[in-house]
Amino acid sequence: MNTSVSITINGIAYERSIPIRMLLVDFIRYEAGLTGTHVGCTFEGACGACTVHLDGDAIKSCLVLAVQCDGRWITTVEGLAEGSELHPLQIAFNEHHALQCGYCTSGLLMTGVDLIEKDSELNEEKVRHGITGNLCRCAGYSNIVDAILSVARARTHEEEV
Amino acid sequence: MKELHAGGIGARLPRKEDIPILRGEGRYFADISIAGQLHVMFLRSPHAHARILSIDVSAAEELPGVVAVITGEMIRNEMLPLPQPSVGGGLPGRKPKFWPLAVEKVKFHGEPVAAVVAETPYLAEDALEAIFVEYEPLPYVGDMEAALDPSSPRVHEDWNDNEIFKSNFRATRSADEHAAHIEEAKRRIAEAPFVVRQRFRTHRCGITALEPRGALAVWDATEGITAWMTTQRPHLQRLSLAEVLKLPQAKVRVIAPRDQGGGFGMKGSVYREPLLVAYLARHLRRPVRWLETREENLMAAGQGRDQIHDIELAADANGRLVALRDKIQTDAGDGCLGGTWGYAMPMVGGMRLPNAYILPFCDIQLRVAVTNKASLCPARGFGIFAPRFALERALDMLARKIGVEPAELLRKNFITTFPARLSTGLGYSSGDFVKTFDRLVELVDIPEFRRRQKEALSLGRYIGLGISTGVEVSGVDNLSYLTATGGPSYATVDLRVDSEGHVTVAYGDGPTGQGSQTTIAQVVAEELGIDPQNVTVLSGDTLTTTYSPGTVSGRGASMVLPAVALACRDLKKKIVRVVANDASMVAGDEEFSFADGYITYCGNSNLRRSFAELAHRIVIGAVDLPPGDTGGLEQRAVFEATRGNVCFSAHAAFVEVSPETGRVKITRYVTSDDAGVVINPLIVEGQIQGGVIQGISNFFFEEYVYNDEGQQMTSTLESYKIAKASDVPRIEIYHDAGTPNPTNPLGTRGIGEGCIAPVPGALGNAISDALRPLGIEITDLPVRPGPLFHRMDVALRDDQQA
Ligand code: FES
Ligand code: FES
Repeated sequence: MNTSVSITINGIAYERSIPIRMLLVDFIRYEAGLTGTHVGCTFEGACGACTVHLDGDAIKSCLVLAVQCDGRWITTVEGLAEGSELHPLQIAFNEHHALQCGYCTSGLLMTGVDLIEKDSELNEEKVRHGITGNLCRCAGYSNIVDAILSVARARTHEEEV
Repeated sequence: MKELHAGGIGARLPRKEDIPILRGEGRYFADISIAGQLHVMFLRSPHAHARILSIDVSAAEELPGVVAVITGEMIRNEMLPLPQPSVGGGLPGRKPKFWPLAVEKVKFHGEPVAAVVAETPYLAEDALEAIFVEYEPLPYVGDMEAALDPSSPRVHEDWNDNEIFKSNFRATRSADEHAAHIEEAKRRIAEAPFVVRQRFRTHRCGITALEPRGALAVWDATEGITAWMTTQRPHLQRLSLAEVLKLPQAKVRVIAPRDQGGGFGMKGSVYREPLLVAYLARHLRRPVRWLETREENLMAAGQGRDQIHDIELAADANGRLVALRDKIQTDAGDGCLGGTWGYAMPMVGGMRLPNAYILPFCDIQLRVAVTNKASLCPARGFGIFAPRFALERALDMLARKIGVEPAELLRKNFITTFPARLSTGLGYSSGDFVKTFDRLVELVDIPEFRRRQKEALSLGRYIGLGISTGVEVSGVDNLSYLTATGGPSYATVDLRVDSEGHVTVAYGDGPTGQGSQTTIAQVVAEELGIDPQNVTVLSGDTLTTTYSPGTVSGRGASMVLPAVALACRDLKKKIVRVVANDASMVAGDEEFSFADGYITYCGNSNLRRSFAELAHRIVIGAVDLPPGDTGGLEQRAVFEATRGNVCFSAHAAFVEVSPETGRVKITRYVTSDDAGVVINPLIVEGQIQGGVIQGISNFFFEEYVYNDEGQQMTSTLESYKIAKASDVPRIEIYHDAGTPNPTNPLGTRGIGEGCIAPVPGALGNAISDALRPLGIEITDLPVRPGPLFHRMDVALRDDQQA
């Protein structure tokens, strides 16, 4: 059974007729063609590679049906940079060597940005707990934690100045 | 100290490959689609061992969107089974015959039985439910020791037992010499004042990568098969595809995507599914794509370790090791895995068992059993995770028996003269184990820890320190590699300069996140004196690269980078010839420097030309070149190792074990590694950080669990638990006590493979150290809080009663 939806991703409205059982992650990857969002588990919400922002909150796009997102807005990893200007967390991931294979990276960026935006007093423990929904198989987490903390600290510092 | 070229060797250069990935512009397998592609889904066996009586696909064929439903019977005469020469290799054991889909019977839970090809993956999945298979269950062979008993039911019915491989590691000794060798080991153990006898068990776990597997194949009558595949070894895939489809190699092109979501050995084998995908593309004359689900991955790929060691380790009165005996058993699963057949890993592990120590007399016997489980698969460390755990734990226990600090026992027994040869025949070319180990000991301050430990114990707290080491031989010579894998080990690179001076390096491996684009660029930058940003690296395409063994066994740093350096050095000779010829002078290579984008004559710095201008001069303005030279600026180089590269890691783990919960907290974890000359410290430290965390994850969390009927119970990431950020510590990494490797032109050593192996020993020793007052030794993995709490609880009660 098909239904039509309009979902706004990174500022662009995608109007499509889709099977009602289509997962949001498949909509993002195959209808909108935005392949930066990844799939690492059998749609069980266990790996976090598919994390995106739905109406500004980090969610796992494999646990949501596309129809549930009709009329709502989504940000994916492709929407983080402003043109050629990378988001500070993208730069921090590069500088801290927070990715190896990079398969987990888009999910961790989306979770990381969410943490930074919602908690102005992040510390290592909070970040480690904040990213428990995202598995990284390669990097061993510490560099990811450092990257997130460096941006969070720069923010706090900016606010203080 | 040597001055760093900007972005050259030794620079902490942020990785080049990161930027597209960070933007969401990575190009992974799942991101590739071809117009008109069909989708495959596999029906997998619900039984561990059963005869297939019938398969009814008629209802499935009728469903909307279904293009074909295929079974083993339909393909057994259409394509050849494995083994074939490319993946049979020189491996000395048995190789069971198998097709991509089960024929006659199923041998593990999750074995592909039928495949549906449909217009969408959703429709293909629907159709799986309409396939009806009648099975006659057979007895499940699931225990390796029982499987090796002659009375066991057989996994492969055309075999007379379940032993796929055995070895006594007698190296080059004749049968008589070996008998005498074993006799001597026996005598020494019998006469030694200190002997540890212990069984150690490592469980079934592995390094499943976050990106599952996949294959997409296109057939055309002129060019044959083009297949995109998640693989560390595209050239091996090409050879095996050509063999099973009976095509000339020239009609098979395999492409490993530019970005791959981790491999760790899991993507290093020749698996059933991609072979079938390629067959289907030819059979149906349509592009066919298979994207593995996580469930399939955990059922069918990436299971490793799984060994039993019965060790006897003996030392003399002075604390010198005198002999080692180990009866090793391994559960290979069904052994149906092209490349390693489930036993290459334990074979290599047995050969490497003596590790860093002088152990002249070893009696090592390995038996590998086939069972009704998915085949054992390479996993980072390639066979050494279990042996390192067993031996390092035995050494720790031996030190306690003797009454010395374990670190003292290790230090007294390190191999110190190189080249060295183990009793198993394995050679070590170079290194300085003592130096790297001493650095670790200096970092951890053992006497101070013992003081704190005493104090903690008086307060009822259990803290412990464990030390262990691991030697890894990576980037081995052609002959060893040919014998172990059926293919050579050399690395080939093709370097090409365009007329703006931009360098492209192409090679045929399939990297999976090692940062090779960056390290290759750094070596080029160092050698040619150009900006690493002006280097592009291409990999993974068998049409545009020459044969290469793949991204395996630490070959990146130990083989590929030296080949890059050699290519640059040869290229420089031509550039110098042109510069000298243009200036009407005679000069040798060493009279010119390559730095900051310029080639400068050392005798007169006014003779200076930019690299880019020279590139244009040679590629485009290709007249009046020196006699014998032609236009164009490109160079191929092949690096062959004469001896294996050795790297060495020493680890120290500090833990606290809670008597209330049995939970182990790692309070500090330090490594000292000999990674040779380090091209990019950021990347080397990243490899070690990640490798150690994987080891910790294996040790505490991950386990493939089979129930009594052989059903695999851990096929989701909820049940197959991988360590999360909050479960693990930060690893302190030191590589400042390394030594340049004399066996390659850069002095590099490949650290990525071996850095995981000391982890189980360090953790096992640390926990046993913490719990020594309770008499608890860690001998079985994984270590879980529940059982550990129970053991502590019993011991504490006994204590109170006493
Ligand atoms: S794919 Fe969504 S959590 Fe794994
Ligand atoms: S970088 Fe590979 S999974 Fe995180």
